[in-house]
Amino acid sequence: MNCRSEVLEVSVEGRQVDEAMLALLHTILLHRSTGKFHYKKEGTYSIGTVGTQDIDCDYIDFSFVRVSSDELDRVIRKAVGEFKDAMGNGTDGMGQISLEFYQKKKSRWPFSDECIPWEVWSIKVNVVNLANEQERQICREKVGEKLGEKVINIVEVINQHEYLPKMPTQSEVDNVFDTSLKDVQPYLYKITFQITDTLGTSKTTWFCAY
Amino acid sequence: MAAHFDTEYQRLEASYSDSPPGEENLLVHVPDGNKSPWHHIENLDLFFQRVYNLHQKNGFTCMLLGEVFELVQLLFVVGFTVFLANCVDYDILFANKFVNHTDSSKVTLPDAFLPVDVCSASIRDNVTVMFVLMISGVFWLHRLIKFIYNVCCYWEIRSFYTNALKMSMAELPYFTWQEVQARIVEIQKEHQICIHKKELTELDIYHRILRFKNYMVAMVNKSLLPVRFRPPLLGESVFYTRGLKYNFELILFWGPGSLFESEWSLKPQYKRGGNRLELADKLASRILWIGIANLLLCPVVLVWQILYAFFSYTEVIKREPGSLGARCWSLYGRCYLRHFNELDHELMSRLSKGYKASSRYMNCFLSSLLTVVAKNVAFFAGSLLAVLIALTIYDEDVLAVEHVLSSITLLGVCITVCRSFIPDKHLVYCPEQLLRLILAHIHYMPDHWQGNAHRYETRDQFSQLFQYKAVFILEELTSPLVTPFILIFSLRRKSLEIIDFFRNFTVEVVGVGDTCSFAQMDIRQHGHPAWMSEGKTEASIYQQAEDGKTELSLMHFAITNPQWQPPTETTHFISQLKERVQRETTGDRHTLTSLSEPRSLIANFLAGPPSLASLHLGRDGSLTNHGPVGVSDGASALRSLSVSSMRGSCSSTHRSAGHASSASRAMAGSSTDARTASSGSSVWEGQLTSLVLSEYASTEMSIHALYIHELHKQQSGGELSRHTWHRQDSDDSSDSVTEEGGSGGGNTNPRKPIPRSHTFPISTPISTPGPIPSSNSGPNPDRGTTPGQEVAPLQSNSQRHYGGNTDSVGPGGRVVRSERVPMGGWAEEGRGGRHPDTVPEEGSEDDMPPNIHKVT
Repeated sequence: MNCRSEVLEVSVEGRQVDEAMLALLHTILLHRSTGKFHYKKEGTYSIGTVGTQDIDCDYIDFSFVRVSSDELDRVIRKAVGEFKDAMGNGTDGMGQISLEFYQKKKSRWPFSDECIPWEVWSIKVNVVNLANEQERQICREKVGEKLGEKVINIVEVINQHEYLPKMPTQSEVDNVFDTSLKDVQPYLYKITFQITDTLGTSKTTWFCAY
Repeated sequence: MAAHFDTEYQRLEASYSDSPPGEENLLVHVPDGNKSPWHHIENLDLFFQRVYNLHQKNGFTCMLLGEVFELVQLLFVVGFTVFLANCVDYDILFANKFVNHTDSSKVTLPDAFLPVDVCSASIRDNVTVMFVLMISGVFWLHRLIKFIYNVCCYWEIRSFYTNALKMSMAELPYFTWQEVQARIVEIQKEHQICIHKKELTELDIYHRILRFKNYMVAMVNKSLLPVRFRPPLLGESVFYTRGLKYNFELILFWGPGSLFESEWSLKPQYKRGGNRLELADKLASRILWIGIANLLLCPVVLVWQILYAFFSYTEVIKREPGSLGARCWSLYGRCYLRHFNELDHELMSRLSKGYKASSRYMNCFLSSLLTVVAKNVAFFAGSLLAVLIALTIYDEDVLAVEHVLSSITLLGVCITVCRSFIPDKHLVYCPEQLLRLILAHIHYMPDHWQGNAHRYETRDQFSQLFQYKAVFILEELTSPLVTPFILIFSLRRKSLEIIDFFRNFTVEVVGVGDTCSFAQMDIRQHGHPAWMSEGKTEASIYQQAEDGKTELSLMHFAITNPQWQPPTETTHFISQLKERVQRETTGDRHTLTSLSEPRSLIANFLAGPPSLASLHLGRDGSLTNHGPVGVSDGASALRSLSVSSMRGSCSSTHRSAGHASSASRAMAGSSTDARTASSGSSVWEGQLTSLVLSEYASTEMSIHALYIHELHKQQSGGELSRHTWHRQDSDDSSDSVTEEGGSGGGNTNPRKPIPRSHTFPISTPISTPGPIPSSNSGPNPDRGTTPGQEVAPLQSNSQRHYGGNTDSVGPGGRVVRSERVPMGGWAEEGRGGRHPDTVPEEGSEDDMPPNIHKVT
């Protein structure tokens, strides 16, 4: 496949799943979003500003920065919520959320537009069961530290100057960026998840968020 | 105390333009837009394959026309057959029935056709014909849709050629593939076709185009595919047809439920060793189903094959009946002789160069009994024919006599067939030299052929690679009948080995995806100690490529793609080898005894490239005056002309010129001229230069191949350690022991181990002594009786050999794994000892597939 793929793995307790996922997804999206483009007549454009926001987690000793866009947050939360529901209630399990950035390529008439991914982040989650409160406390701190490491990983990956779609002209902006949000403009992305049950069979659910 | 730090940075809502007032002009961006549609192509495998195909098919128009005619041909074959079967009144044609013409007595062709309504009625009434028509109609529609889709795709490739590569379709046939490839590498920097890397390498492109072919070559090399059979009467024979190949590819690579989930990646479950047995079961049942489907479709395919063969070959056979006696490279031969990472056209040009020598070699073996018979049959048939022709010339009414025309035709065919059994009068019997000449082009042959070129066994085995055209057609015709049985009875038993093969020999290369690890041409991983990579290779027997495939492929790839920059170790190997070849060919004659033998051979190379007119003078002089030294100088001069050394070593030319006499000095001079001339335009730039250089490259490769084989022969010292030719199914335990033990053809010392196994520390991570097979229990003075070192058959002792698998729990209950030991290989020594620091595995590593490692 002609796309980069990064894999992150975390081991968390059942109730920490959604916060951990939110933290990682939002961190990636923070770096893959720009302000809204305002195109001018001469074919140039200016970029709007992006607000950021610190979010503290309830079940993990961790806070993360996200784009302060409630719309984007709502979409991500919905995806993570569905993922958590699919994982079931807190028992052991494995799952994987993929955040896929893609661009559209216009095709000639008989074919529909192609969506060509250029970067895929796969977050593998391993849910563990903890026996007592003390273990939970330790886990709370440990997961916090782990997430911190992951965030640094993400930033390192993003700092390598690898392929990014080129900045589009006004007519093509929809092929590269998700322009449906009012206050922020992330690269086109798609979230999918996959649950592996105890038997080792996996089923994939496509949750597409544009 | 209750200070609340608000860390939110909200976006500015006040100003519409989002810029501080007065600075609007400072924060203005210019979009670079996506002017080029060639950045970030999704399926690079297909893309490169299409680029290659378009190049090989000489441009868009040729390809389009070819495909259109293929479609028309299909229609024609079906239509014409139905017409012949239903719409012709054969009684009229054979003049058994009289036509009641009133005016003339001549029978015309239209008289024999049935009227349209009768004809269509008879077709409509015939159920089988309707059925056949329906099936072929569906098939044709399928082809039509595929054709239209292809046209759209190739139109894009065409515009890629014209717009991005700046090559017009008209001049495409005059570019070599290397040039096209160089341009692709060039434009990657600008367009980023592949997003993983800033720069593409030649190897990446080859990997993508040849991904599955490399797997096939590797599987044939490791004798995994069931293509060798021992039917009761025919002796050992090879059966590998297009139909069988298609089925193999369908099962393994692209059919529904195959091992690959897309062109570029193996399904993840196949990369893990955990449930290999279940996967093997799954594969086996899939093979069974496909086999049954083949069996059901067999009549249709068979009819198709017969019709197709009839329509495409009858005319040729009538025109030149000798073509049936001609030979061609068999499909198996093409697979066996193919290097890793060798494109079709490279292979074909190599084999075509070897064709003449090969058919001369085969002609050496014409049976003298047959010759005597053939001579006499030809004599009698010839005299009959002569009389008939003479009579016809005298009065052509002779032709009207019944069966005269047909007897003339038959006699003619008979004579041509006989003539192919009569050897050329001027043929010289020198099989050994011919075989070396063949080797120079085909680059591979089993060890035991050397020195046995005059024997019938060698000839028979060579004929498996180089078969009669007639045999080829016959095999294709029987293929639909045989294929299902091969699938069901032979391939199905191999399913576990196939699963193991794909797990052990797949590496994930960044920017390319999953490829066959053999195709990496890494000496360390897959080198064979008997083929120059002694001491460099860390491969176990299971991992070594046979017949020096890794080494020869590496040399071939490095020589055909001089711009390619291999990893440092590999570079070291290549330069070392080149230096040795150089030294031996220029240097003293005492070490040269091996190479001076095929003197005429190297002279033959020199005569090869037609553009070497200037060298011919020198060659003749040196040949007559100086014998071997002159020849070796010729070779070195040739080599110094080639691109690789053109960049570096002037000195070699000077050295050779220094130590030889005037004749060779003249030659060296001319080579220097050529060198400066060609290096004047930068390498691979001018079309002429590149063509000439590719000619040199193939010569250079021939010299290297000969050298490597020679060295291999010396190293193995006549006692050939092992060869693949006689390798049986590796699930046959006793045979796999023999082959492991490395008995040569002679069987004098069947238990002689591979030399290397003495020197390596043997540790026995799991010391369960397996049941020692009967053939193994004989006296064994050569090796110690360490249980873990004992060779044991695969089936009887699965625990030990699947080290790393979950079911290989050692006596202590620990799972022991060593990184380099592939699971489920052949029976092997306790090869964990190759890495003394065998680590007891932690459960946490389970997520990582054991043998898949990233290669950057």
